[in-house]
Amino acid sequence: MKALVIGNKTSHLVDGLGFIQALSSETGVSIEAYGLLYGGGAEETKGFTKIFSMPEASPEAVANTVSKLIEKMTLEMVIAPAEKNGTEILSRVASVYDMPMITEVSGISKAGENTYLERAIMGGRATALYRFKTPMAVTVPAKKFKASESGATPEFEELQVIDGVTKVVEVLPKEKGAVDLEAADVIVGVGRGFKAKDDLAMAFELAELLDGEVGCSRPVAADFKWLGEDRWIGISGKKIRGKLYIAVGISGAPQHIMAASDTKVIVAVNKDKNAPIFTFSDYGVVADLYQFLPVFIKKLKEKKGV
Amino acid sequence: MDIAVLVKASLDVNMIKADSEGRILLDSIPLAISEYDRNAVAEAVRIKGELGGRVVAFSVLTWGPADKRAKEIENVMREALALGADEAHVVVDDAILPSDVSVTAETLSNLIKKTGDFGLILAGEGSMDMMSAQLPVRIAYKLGYPVATFARKIDVINGAVKVTRDLEDVLQVVELPLPAVVSVTGEINQPRLPTLLQIRKSFAKPYKAYTISEIGMDTPEKLFPFDDIKLVTVSRKNMIIEGENLEEIAEKLIDKLIEEGVVRV
Ligand SMILES: Cc1cc2nc3c(=O)[nH]c(=O)nc-3n(C[C@H](O)[C@H](O)[C@H](O)COP(=O)(O)OP(=O)(O)OC[C@H]3O[C@@H](n4cnc5c(N)ncnc54)[C@H](O)[C@@H]3O)c2cc1C
Repeated sequence: MKALVIGNKTSHLVDGLGFIQALSSETGVSIEAYGLLYGGGAEETKGFTKIFSMPEASPEAVANTVSKLIEKMTLEMVIAPAEKNGTEILSRVASVYDMPMITEVSGISKAGENTYLERAIMGGRATALYRFKTPMAVTVPAKKFKASESGATPEFEELQVIDGVTKVVEVLPKEKGAVDLEAADVIVGVGRGFKAKDDLAMAFELAELLDGEVGCSRPVAADFKWLGEDRWIGISGKKIRGKLYIAVGISGAPQHIMAASDTKVIVAVNKDKNAPIFTFSDYGVVADLYQFLPVFIKKLKEKKGV
Repeated sequence: MDIAVLVKASLDVNMIKADSEGRILLDSIPLAISEYDRNAVAEAVRIKGELGGRVVAFSVLTWGPADKRAKEIENVMREALALGADEAHVVVDDAILPSDVSVTAETLSNLIKKTGDFGLILAGEGSMDMMSAQLPVRIAYKLGYPVATFARKIDVINGAVKVTRDLEDVLQVVELPLPAVVSVTGEINQPRLPTLLQIRKSFAKPYKAYTISEIGMDTPEKLFPFDDIKLVTVSRKNMIIEGENLEEIAEKLIDKLIEEGVVRV
């Protein structure tokens, strides 16, 4: 079987290759990997038979080009990065060929004869299983499936872009944050329980005392814009996997808290004793954050002798 | 220009119910308007304010059983009407339940075609329950319209639409000829809660439910229904720290965190 991995970075190809290798070992089917880089140029990635390249283009043009390739090469699987562009491009390709598409596959499992692809649904509270069959389109998250890059060096071929009606008129930079929540050991999360941006100073002081970072729920970054998107925790933001997460004034919506499920210890501070966050935490404090945080900070300083 | 807006009656992910063996009780989870679809309705209403026309909300019931859910999807659509849509059309039919994305797209595109001509079709970037983020594109291809996803800003100008796509690293501005399908992110606007008056008025607006045969469809085959849904189990200690006063609570919490080895003093 032949599979095509598309992406605009070499790491996308590696992520897709990891998925192919995992699927191949689960199903026992040997899969020949092809790559396609749109923009970004072709670097050598071992494990691929051939890597196609094309200039950066609209998702429509990339999809048109990929669709042509599928027809020419009888590809049975197409794999894209689980990012917004990858999702749009692959949805287009899946639409052209009326192919099943599994968005953001999180695992592969077996039951009897069948192999299943898994993905998170319901804000992360549940996993849906889909029987693997071909043809199929799949988006793959970064670093989920480890690839072994070995084998022959791929051939290269440049492709002609097949344009569509979508015109890319402008590409604007986005403000880049410098915080890497995914690597932080301790995170203090702030939510809508905070009434004003200035009040976040308490959270920053607490985070500093604990050698940690400040993260936030979606409304704090997206609606209030008090903090950058690099601090946004959740299924549409960052997944965290540190030692300690202290969620303050956060209700515990699944889209937020499930992204912290790999954290060792979760603490919740919320004035509502029925807030769902308490069912997702190890230790809970039912209190007004405006009263509790100053006391907590004071006691920590005493213990630390600072 | 008339605008179609797609609204999903999504499983309310804050109200997930499971039995003692951890099997999810899909039929007992209530339905609610999918969060980003509220943004899509608000955006459609904003554009209508600039250009005139009607805003028509469309939905297909995807979770059964139909008789029990018929009222729930109507309530969801009443919310869309309260948010400013002018009329609502839905398909409620056990023959497609539970639906998959391909059948939902097929049904919605037939429903839209039957109802009128729309210059713009808006949808949320993904649904709250299934989050597969591919429906707007599938509909566009079925209708033969151009499509852009993850819009943070939409400008309609002379028969075309300029869409600012909110990508991970950059904002990509694309232009498409109308009619077109556009999916919006939660950041495109901040929908206000409908007022009591708007809610009351929504009950006077047209609402029509169809079966698939009423929109000229035979029972379609599902391309990739899910085979199983499993609850993700969370096991945490769930210990509420109690004490005489906040000082005592803070001290107990710090001791716990030291014991766990996650805080060092
Ligand atoms: C498809 C989809 C994707 C989403 N993705 C994300 C995501 O990636 N990340 C994310 O965070 N959200 C996401 N959301 C939104 C999510 O559903 C919630 O709306 C959001 O997480 C709520 O943020 P919050 O807890 O800060 O606010 P709220 O839910 O409003 O909670 C505020 C909490 O603060 C408490 N509180 C208020 N005042 C005080 C006080 N003085 N002291 C102590 N406690 C107080 C309240 O009791 C309440 O529990 C997504 C939603 C959808 C539909």
